[in-house]
Amino acid sequence: MKITRRTLLRGAGVALGLPHLEAFAQAKETPRRMLAICNNLGVLPGGFFPTKAGRDYELPAYLKEIAAFRNDFTVFSGLSHPDVDGSHASEVCFLTAAPHPANGGFRNSISLDQVMAEQIGVKTRFPSLTFGVNVNRGQRSLTWTGGGVMIPCEDSPSAIYKRLFLQGSAEEIERQMSRLKLGESIMDSVAEHARGLKKDLGARDVERLDQYMTGVRELERRLVLAREWEKKPKPKTTAPEPKDPADSRLYMEKVRLMYDMARLAFETDSTRLITLFLDSSNSPAIDVEGVQITDGYHNLSHHGRNESKLAQLTAIDTWHFKLLNELFAKLKAVKEDGETLLDRSMVLYGSNFGDANKHTTDNLPVLLAGGGFKHGQHLAFDKQKNHPLPNLFLSMLHKMGIDAPKFASSTGTLL
Amino acid sequence: MRLFFLIAGVSLAADPRQLLQTHCGSCHQGAKAPGGIDLSAFDAPWSDQRWVRIHDAVRDGVMPPNGRLQSGDRIALLRAIAEPLTAFESMSDRSVLRRLNRYEYESTLRDVLQAPWLQLKDGLPEDGLVARFNKSGNALDISHVQMARYMETAEQALRAVLKASRTPVASTRYYARDQRTFLTRMRYSSFNNHPERATIPVLGFDAQPEVLNEKVPLTNAADREREAFVTTASTYTGNNYHFDKFIAPAGGRYKLRFNAYSIWVHTIWGPVNHKTRPAWWRPDRERTSKGRTVEPVSLYALARGGEKRFLGSFDVSPEPGVQELEVTLLEGESIQPDAARLFRSRPGFRGNPESTKEGTPGVAYRWMEVEGPAKQPVQFDMTGDVAVTVRAFMTRVYRRPPTAAEVARYSAIARNDRLAGFTAVLCSPGFLYLEETPGRLKPEALAARLSYFLANTRPTGASFDKLLEDPSRFVNPFLDYWLDLRKLGDTTPDVTLYPDYYLDDLLTESSLFETQLFVQELIKRDLPVRNLIDSRFTFLNVHLARHYGIAGVEGVNMRRVDLPEGSVRGGLLTQASVLKLTANGTTTSPVLRGAWIMERIVGDPSPPPPSGVPAVEPDTRGSTTIRQQLDKHRSIASCAACHRKIDPPGFALENFDVFGAWRERYRSTDDGEAMKGIGKNGHDFTFKLGLPVDASGDGFRDISGFKKLLLQDERKIARNVVNQLVTYATGAPVRFSDRPAVEAILDRAKSSNYGFRTLMREVVQSPLFTHK
Repeated sequence: MKITRRTLLRGAGVALGLPHLEAFAQAKETPRRMLAICNNLGVLPGGFFPTKAGRDYELPAYLKEIAAFRNDFTVFSGLSHPDVDGSHASEVCFLTAAPHPANGGFRNSISLDQVMAEQIGVKTRFPSLTFGVNVNRGQRSLTWTGGGVMIPCEDSPSAIYKRLFLQGSAEEIERQMSRLKLGESIMDSVAEHARGLKKDLGARDVERLDQYMTGVRELERRLVLAREWEKKPKPKTTAPEPKDPADSRLYMEKVRLMYDMARLAFETDSTRLITLFLDSSNSPAIDVEGVQITDGYHNLSHHGRNESKLAQLTAIDTWHFKLLNELFAKLKAVKEDGETLLDRSMVLYGSNFGDANKHTTDNLPVLLAGGGFKHGQHLAFDKQKNHPLPNLFLSMLHKMGIDAPKFASSTGTLL
Repeated sequence: MRLFFLIAGVSLAADPRQLLQTHCGSCHQGAKAPGGIDLSAFDAPWSDQRWVRIHDAVRDGVMPPNGRLQSGDRIALLRAIAEPLTAFESMSDRSVLRRLNRYEYESTLRDVLQAPWLQLKDGLPEDGLVARFNKSGNALDISHVQMARYMETAEQALRAVLKASRTPVASTRYYARDQRTFLTRMRYSSFNNHPERATIPVLGFDAQPEVLNEKVPLTNAADREREAFVTTASTYTGNNYHFDKFIAPAGGRYKLRFNAYSIWVHTIWGPVNHKTRPAWWRPDRERTSKGRTVEPVSLYALARGGEKRFLGSFDVSPEPGVQELEVTLLEGESIQPDAARLFRSRPGFRGNPESTKEGTPGVAYRWMEVEGPAKQPVQFDMTGDVAVTVRAFMTRVYRRPPTAAEVARYSAIARNDRLAGFTAVLCSPGFLYLEETPGRLKPEALAARLSYFLANTRPTGASFDKLLEDPSRFVNPFLDYWLDLRKLGDTTPDVTLYPDYYLDDLLTESSLFETQLFVQELIKRDLPVRNLIDSRFTFLNVHLARHYGIAGVEGVNMRRVDLPEGSVRGGLLTQASVLKLTANGTTTSPVLRGAWIMERIVGDPSPPPPSGVPAVEPDTRGSTTIRQQLDKHRSIASCAACHRKIDPPGFALENFDVFGAWRERYRSTDDGEAMKGIGKNGHDFTFKLGLPVDASGDGFRDISGFKKLLLQDERKIARNVVNQLVTYATGAPVRFSDRPAVEAILDRAKSSNYGFRTLMREVVQSPLFTHK
């Protein structure tokens, strides 16, 4: 094996200033999580938006399903992403706020979870996870990296379970390790190169090169941390491996399973960032307990005030909130350092459509639960001149401990 | 040396603070002192920009107001500032160490790897700006995020090139009739039950009802070459299809050939039982005939997730024909055609602006042929001797020969993993940073500076003129920042007020090309910079010409057009791109437009508004004009001081709406005269024509008069151009002490009437460019 400067130093037990995982864990930081959910057909506005603003608003029909958690969530009205139009095309912009997704020349930008992953992803085995229900495989997602890559949704709960709890094969682990080691050696070599250049430079130039070296060292540190993860065994769980629902009609069952997997992932600190794309538009006539659904989900959403369609949509929407109720209860039941998992997890539930019947992308339904925010109110903004949803995202970034000046088209913070 | 300067400075000129207190202290006192200059506690260092502002305000006679300063006192005061300021600036280099910006990184890698098809810059974080450009080391930061992206980007670029080199060239024809997405759009479903959002099968010019109703197979061998699918609408959400059988196997250069033609589709005339309204304008998918129009077709590279990259446009005529385009594609992309002139129905639509009772135009697609990827060379050797190949690669990539230590370092990595070695080189400071030593630049550094200025890429020994052979390599990135053209797509015309060009991508694309080609022409022919203010020509296609009300231009290709006598469309100020950028899609603001023009084009930036002044809420309901709302700018003296300069250009441009079309009256949502028409989105016009536009100002009646005013001082326009060029080319804005050098450049360019190319040539010969 080649003796590098690095191996020498490690062998000599000299602290490189690269914290090992244990030392990192001992640092007194509160782990914060985010689960961002987008239902790409939204909900019927009448059942979701309260009329009164403030703390003592009356819970509309859907929110009654989560009444037990009234003080654990905030409901918003009058929010939307500036310049995000384009009907169904807007779904890939729910977490990015990139303008005009249906126009020629459209390029998406980095999603909220990836901004967070770039900073805190290294603290967990998986920097982030991307889930989906009934998504057209590999075609749509909420997650877009800074490098402009769309991360496809994982739509199999059992595959997620295996990823969380089953150890990879020795070859897989070795492969990952060597990749990471390569990255480290690349960073190591360029840092040395930079150091060699410094002596020929004036003070102001040295300052610039120092910034480069800091960036390099910081990346190297993260690669080391990632490699440590490969060596650690995966967590254990008593939860049984889920069985994947056979068919896209079992939409609600899939949603429930995805919420379960998200909770398990947070509970075991396997990741702190999850996006979940509910592709309602791509779903057929779904199974809803106790209700006869006569039409594909998308067709239903174009209700045109038809009584039967409205009744079916109401039943579907109500179930969405029943499942959220279960999720909140399960998150709240998990204790972590005297707080609950719900306190430490921001759960964002919303849609890129304000009204799927009219395909409008303003006045979006947005609900934020948990995460340590002060909740219990209806924050109402102007329905004619909407407030930027990115402002909420910026608040969420700050809550994550990320000191960003803005997110996409944000004009400030919200919470 | 330094002490001598300081001592000399003190003895040659008086302390400027004392002089300022004498002449200016009566107004500029206390916490609320005007302009933020409180002389009771003014100990700003020489690096503070306020010194320059003070100097210029005194020089121009703006301060003190009412000409209270004697000539001799003025000269003494100016000298008391100029000398120590110059001495201070001479103590440091103009520019600081900087890395390549995103554009340069992409360009350089494309050239180094001979892979012009790589798309890299959008995967890198946005660059910080100084003086509006992404060229200054002070703002070109690096963090671990950046380093991670560099590593990822470099590795992926190398892998993509390898893949391209191993992908055999293929030439395949894709018939529209074989594309699943075209067929899906032919059939009604829960997602689509409108004929204008459906495709129509035709044989030649004739509709095929039996195919439409699926009584006979979709295609048969005898008719294959004459079969086509027709669309009567532009591709958009709700009407999406593409050549799904073709997915680019690797990144590369491809030749596309399209067989398409325009066609005529008859409309259902007379009442039809479609809900409760007759739908006379709907296409009858069983009756078509030979085309009557020339239609532009745009092509986009479609990526997973719906991203669409513009590839090019061509015209189709009633006679079937084949068009060829050379494009670049990434692995996994498909091709989406767009009948760009046709409408894009949005939910709730009530009509098609192109429909008449005679019928509606359509485009028929027969087939697309793809040939590619073109043979891809590999500029990094994956199999030869490690040290030799690494040295060769580094020589290619660095802007100077690599040292033995550098070669050894990266060879060590390459020995472990060859690709990682090359990736490391592309992450190293030798590649990412421009190496410049203080004082006069070494030949290699100068060559790099020249190459990144004129062609946005690493030096290859080419001369000034050779580098400018394709001026787009300089013009496009330069305009992206000088004129903010990169932001052109950020706003969209408001759907209520401008339904006629809301969603008009073709117009946005055309307006971008106009400005780029225009400035490229100024450089190609070394035309005087006064053309930036007013010119006798511009670049148009049929779409833009129609937008401007200029007759006699046909076809979607951009070409140089001589403007008719008296046209307002000469120069940058009145180009659609600039007018769109300086508006917000809903309203125009004379203040914003005025300030933008004064800063970017005239070189006379306005100070920011005082705090506590609320923004004006434009009245889109139409009861007051913006001129009336901004009345306080004129009536209050302290506002007028600045707005006297800012407002006139803005008001002169009030005759141009949010996308640069000429208007004599404002559009409003409430007050005014109702207009009949249907927008590109299929909705009836609901805006009204309201109050008249008053574009007059001091000394001019309208925009033409204003342009004449500006042209009275061509040297000023040229000076601004030089300032922008110097900032862009050297990564450092023009400082106070650089001004004599700028004037020298202008003096030498005077005889060519300040030709754009001449100015550039003089810049690169100036010490501002040849020294760090």
